[in-house]
Amino acid sequence: MASFEDLSKQVITGNQVKVKEVTQALIDEGSAPLDIINLGLIAGMNIVGSRFKNGEMFVPEVLMAAKSMSAGIEIVKPLIADKDMPSIGKVLLGTVKGDLHDIGKNLVGMMLESGGFTVINMGIDISPEQFIKAVKEHNPDILAMSALLTTTMLHMKDTIELLKEEGLHNKVKVIVGGAPISQDFADEVGADGFAPDAASAVDLCKKLLS
Amino acid sequence: MYTTRSLYTRANYEVNQTTLWKMLSEDQCEEIFMTVLELLERTGAEVKNKEALEIFEKAGCWVDGNRVRIPTALSEWAVRTVPSRITLCNRNGKRALSLETTNVYYGPGQGNGQILDPVTGEIRKPLKADIVNTAIICDSLKNIDFAMNNGLPSDVAPAMAEVHAFEALVSNTTKPIVQNVENVAQAQAIVDIAAAIAGGLRELQKNPFVALYIATEGTLVHSDETLAKVIFAAKNGIPFVYNTKLVAGDTAPATPAGALVVAVADVLVGILLAQLVRQGAPVIGGGFFTIEDKANGIKPLGAPEVELMGTGFANVMRYLRIPNFGFAGATDGKLSDAQMGLEAAFSILHAGLSGTNLIHGCGLLEYGLTGSLELIVMGDEVMGMTRRMMKGVEVDEERLARGVIDAVQPGGHYLGEEHTMKFFRSEFWWPTLMNRNRIDDWIAKGAKSMGQRVKEKTLDILKNHRPDKLAEDKLAEIKAIVAKAEAAIE
Repeated sequence: MASFEDLSKQVITGNQVKVKEVTQALIDEGSAPLDIINLGLIAGMNIVGSRFKNGEMFVPEVLMAAKSMSAGIEIVKPLIADKDMPSIGKVLLGTVKGDLHDIGKNLVGMMLESGGFTVINMGIDISPEQFIKAVKEHNPDILAMSALLTTTMLHMKDTIELLKEEGLHNKVKVIVGGAPISQDFADEVGADGFAPDAASAVDLCKKLLS
Repeated sequence: MYTTRSLYTRANYEVNQTTLWKMLSEDQCEEIFMTVLELLERTGAEVKNKEALEIFEKAGCWVDGNRVRIPTALSEWAVRTVPSRITLCNRNGKRALSLETTNVYYGPGQGNGQILDPVTGEIRKPLKADIVNTAIICDSLKNIDFAMNNGLPSDVAPAMAEVHAFEALVSNTTKPIVQNVENVAQAQAIVDIAAAIAGGLRELQKNPFVALYIATEGTLVHSDETLAKVIFAAKNGIPFVYNTKLVAGDTAPATPAGALVVAVADVLVGILLAQLVRQGAPVIGGGFFTIEDKANGIKPLGAPEVELMGTGFANVMRYLRIPNFGFAGATDGKLSDAQMGLEAAFSILHAGLSGTNLIHGCGLLEYGLTGSLELIVMGDEVMGMTRRMMKGVEVDEERLARGVIDAVQPGGHYLGEEHTMKFFRSEFWWPTLMNRNRIDDWIAKGAKSMGQRVKEKTLDILKNHRPDKLAEDKLAEIKAIVAKAEAAIE
């Protein structure tokens, strides 16, 4: 007998093969696809998130867990109508202009997806104009900007100012992150939130949308 | 002329592929050894023990009064017959430390008349409770491999201090113990306690968890009491450290090479006596070297020469295939400050790289006058770093990572790869005291300095670590042995 608990456990250990097996077994035994996602896969990833935040798990382990969770989702997805796919909110994500770092940003993206968010990952070197265009097009709940360099992080301010000029800043929450970013900096540039790590970013997004 | 020059020619250059600090080449070790043999035959050593004089004479040494001159062949015989490896066990008789080749094991020191109170920071005389604390600290730390007493208790009869110290250690740690002894009566009580725990002397000999520490005065003089202890240890088949202490430029030649010659000669006298008493007696050659600090009139422990000569000694002992004992992890500083960190770290790294088998001394402040539990705790962290370096770079098919490099492709990252998952925990050293927090987290946790973190960890261990206890009947037996020894001494 496969169980949701077992599925969560396999996600936590990042065992892709086992996650696929257990997911398939649950489907075969007649579990509801949405329960498999919420009670098994996402439940496991939530534990990964809190352990990561407590320093009990590390980036490679989190990534393996996220990968294994995605493998499970891929199996369940065809059984659910697109509109029924659970999503707590839509996040538009990108690294700012002149900055080519994407490892941390991608980790945030993965954690958000694992936490039940829909993520649109724009990639790296995104100018304020490109961000504004994407906000208009996708209508996200949250705009998340990443920067690793003290020289590029000032573009966060440019983007927020442009949002205001376009009258969009009340429609979308803005969060910022990256090695040189602090809460002080986030306040200074007028962002709605800052998180020091990927797991905290998930909590932050949930808080902003609640 | 002081010398008759040897005509030996050594290789100028030798390549070592190792993470070890092999300072002396094989040829240099040979040169030192030949000089030692010549010195023992030509100058000889002062032997103040009557039984030892008789043993040496019977074996073919030239004995004139207290002067014993040793024929080269006899010294060489002793080097061949002393075991080239000794295993020290833990208190449960489980094999623990293999004193062989360049295996490195760390522990605290002894000989300090004061202790830094771990709670108040006051410098005062050690109590038996302090030795208990030392045992608890040693028991809990991963990189501390053996225990020593880190000071003698001042709240017991002085003549019994070593026995009480041993009782405190053996009751509060399962790790092997190196125990200094003042005289044969103390040695007997300590061996009796150890035998009671092991289940008899024979079991203790098979799986020894204690090595006696016998210090000789250095400078080729061996006292009555010192050699009586050597004879006792050899007769009982208990491993012992025969440790010499030399001050270059004062009690030994100012040149490190000359000091090494005297040290090795000193140690060989103890080894030969033990082999003559009981062929195959397990002896660990110990050498402690320092210099005379002319500006302050003290003998520093943090001087670079301490590890320089210590490494030379380890190299020669290794060349002779004799298990050895050295020194590191001490400081001339007076408190938990940057000097303590620097001197302890340098010496722990260098002694480790020298391949000294038993490295004692961690925890000594103020050139050895004061013992500090905090320094032992900080030293443990440095030992962990040192061991990571000594592990070197393992090169095999899986670790060369051809497959994963190709899978990741240029510009990619390795964070989410099975290969990373498999190795990132075991290939990296993980700090317990060194702080790598982002500054916001560090501030949130109280913005603590290294000294504060070390102190907190020390107090936390003392409060929360519970070493395995001895069985009630063993504790009662030990108590009776201590009481009996106490009565005999008074």
